[in-house]
Amino acid sequence: MLQYIYDGSFDGLLTAIYEAYYRREVPDEILSEDSLQQNFIVEKIHIETNEEKARKVYMSIKTKISEHTLRNCFYVFISERPDRGTIIYRYLILGWKIGKTIDQNLKNDSVLIVHKIRQKVSKEVHWMLGLVRFSQLKSGVFYSHIEPDNDIVGLLAPHFAERLSDEYWIIHDVKRNIGVMYNKNEWIIRDLNISEEISFQDGEEDYQKLWKEYFKAIAIKNKINPRLQKQYMPKRYWKHLIEK
Amino acid sequence: MEMLSKLKILSDAAKYDVSCSSSGSNRKGKKGDLGSTSECGICHSWADDGRCISLLKILFTNYCIYDCAYCINRASNDLPRAAFTPDEVADLTINFYKRNYIEGLFLSSAVYKSPNYTMELLMNAVKKLREEHRFNGYIHLKAIPGADKALIEKAGMYVDRMSVNIELPSDEGLKLLAPQKNKNAIIKPMNFINSRIHQAVEERQKFRYSQSFVPAGQTTQLIVGATKDSDLKILRLSEALYKGFRLKRVYYSAFIPVSKHPNLPVLASPPLVRENRLYQADWLLRFYGYNASEILNDEKPDFDLALDPKCDWALRNIELFPVEINKADYYLLLRVPGIGVRSARRIIDARKFGMLGFENLKKLGIVLKRARYFITCGGKHYGIKSMDAPSIRNSILFNSNNNSAGEQLSMFSVYPQLLTQKDIISTITGEL
Repeated sequence: MLQYIYDGSFDGLLTAIYEAYYRREVPDEILSEDSLQQNFIVEKIHIETNEEKARKVYMSIKTKISEHTLRNCFYVFISERPDRGTIIYRYLILGWKIGKTIDQNLKNDSVLIVHKIRQKVSKEVHWMLGLVRFSQLKSGVFYSHIEPDNDIVGLLAPHFAERLSDEYWIIHDVKRNIGVMYNKNEWIIRDLNISEEISFQDGEEDYQKLWKEYFKAIAIKNKINPRLQKQYMPKRYWKHLIEK
Repeated sequence: MEMLSKLKILSDAAKYDVSCSSSGSNRKGKKGDLGSTSECGICHSWADDGRCISLLKILFTNYCIYDCAYCINRASNDLPRAAFTPDEVADLTINFYKRNYIEGLFLSSAVYKSPNYTMELLMNAVKKLREEHRFNGYIHLKAIPGADKALIEKAGMYVDRMSVNIELPSDEGLKLLAPQKNKNAIIKPMNFINSRIHQAVEERQKFRYSQSFVPAGQTTQLIVGATKDSDLKILRLSEALYKGFRLKRVYYSAFIPVSKHPNLPVLASPPLVRENRLYQADWLLRFYGYNASEILNDEKPDFDLALDPKCDWALRNIELFPVEINKADYYLLLRVPGIGVRSARRIIDARKFGMLGFENLKKLGIVLKRARYFITCGGKHYGIKSMDAPSIRNSILFNSNNNSAGEQLSMFSVYPQLLTQKDIISTITGEL
């Protein structure tokens, strides 16, 4: 059994796929360093990330398969599944074989799993576009904290950069200790740890109170349905919501 | 805090309006403006009744000159009243929006002083939001029946969606429960908005710059169960509205008894199942290519409450089934109970790469609970032996009852028993 080990970055994964092709090897698994397990019967090859090689694979997916496929790979990558490298690798092998119609071939398990993951990640992105809750800090910055299952802050940023283009805002992924920050001009993602106490702007509490009141008043009492509510808005997201 | 009690009163008064959708408008954000809209809409929360919260849904005021029996805000009802100012509405909307609580504003109102006076108040509030606060998010505005055309037209230039609520599906209903209103006052503004929307669409094709008008289209709402109107009558009305006025949506609201009036029916609980069936049928009209007359007819003017309308249709047309999954065209696939738009597309895509078997369908995520009675996969049938409607019906009902017994029970307590005890026993023992 042959394993390729990459450094955990998207470029690293693409480099591994590049190497597999040019070394004429077919690794059984492509894993990132952090999801490694000790196993003596496995031959491990460490792949050094190379931007140039990664770019070549990137372009090859885009032109020889499709942009859609490229996006799918990215979505699978940010799902952070331990087997994401292997899933993407098998999917792409097939993609280079049959071309841009690959995404219709849902009968194939390698394609189907990619679509299932993509669906799941997209769903969470869409959820988060609605469930992010900003509070205004003393400095005027709008701050929010979330804990998504997938590493999606980068997919949320363009939406809010367009919507709140004239505000400073931060979306903090407290699970991964990263945050996306916007300065009225452009956004960046970087490591983020907040240790000092957060103080809010005057009036922030009033708006939170108003929102909670609205949330309570808008429900029709004869139709209360907690099961339906949980189905639409999973409970794991509740702790970052003001109204819950 | 005065604002808190106002918001409480005026959102409480607005909650019976079902619509909360923020879809249909796709507007990019602009530097210097606040907000953008998304084509498919975004839900921001779900209230305790499971309904999505997308917009800040409030009445401008609940002072009303009308006394409609079905309505909580009727003049004769003794309840706390309040009114916002345009500035208060703008401040709430902007600050909720910046905190990402909402996707925009849904502003409606009771009729204060006169229809024109009210419409002008509403128009000023949205004008303020758009022009002074440069708010570029979603706005859904109610058009007040009886208001001047010019006012409605002016308001329409600022908002994404407009709606006029029909509420009662027939003229007799109106006379009985809302004698101060008449059908004409409701239909007229709908007709006007429709023609203006399409004028704007045509202008947009001809000129580079043209004023938009209600780009997300208009909607309406019907109350179900406050009058004796049959489901067929309601569905025919919806069909006519979709075809005649090109409405984006018709919403249905199960009547919730908010008052005791001699002309109102006495209901133990709101007819939620009926509301659900109407929505299902509505989807069949809009996305599945059905006609109202296929779904219901004069011999059968009301829905089967135990079975969804598509299943019901399939059972009445059982001679068309089973359908071969690998051969049927898109529209035929759509007619199979349990197969929706997405499933049908997936089947069509996937079968290009080889025959699909039952296991393949399962893996594609197609719900086979009902579909299996109506399809064959490569000639093989996975339903029950006979293809006759009553046995399939029993089989479907018996299997689904296991899962949601709680719901079914509460439904049966409101409506006459549909499945008699004997039927249930016969499906268990398998003899008819």
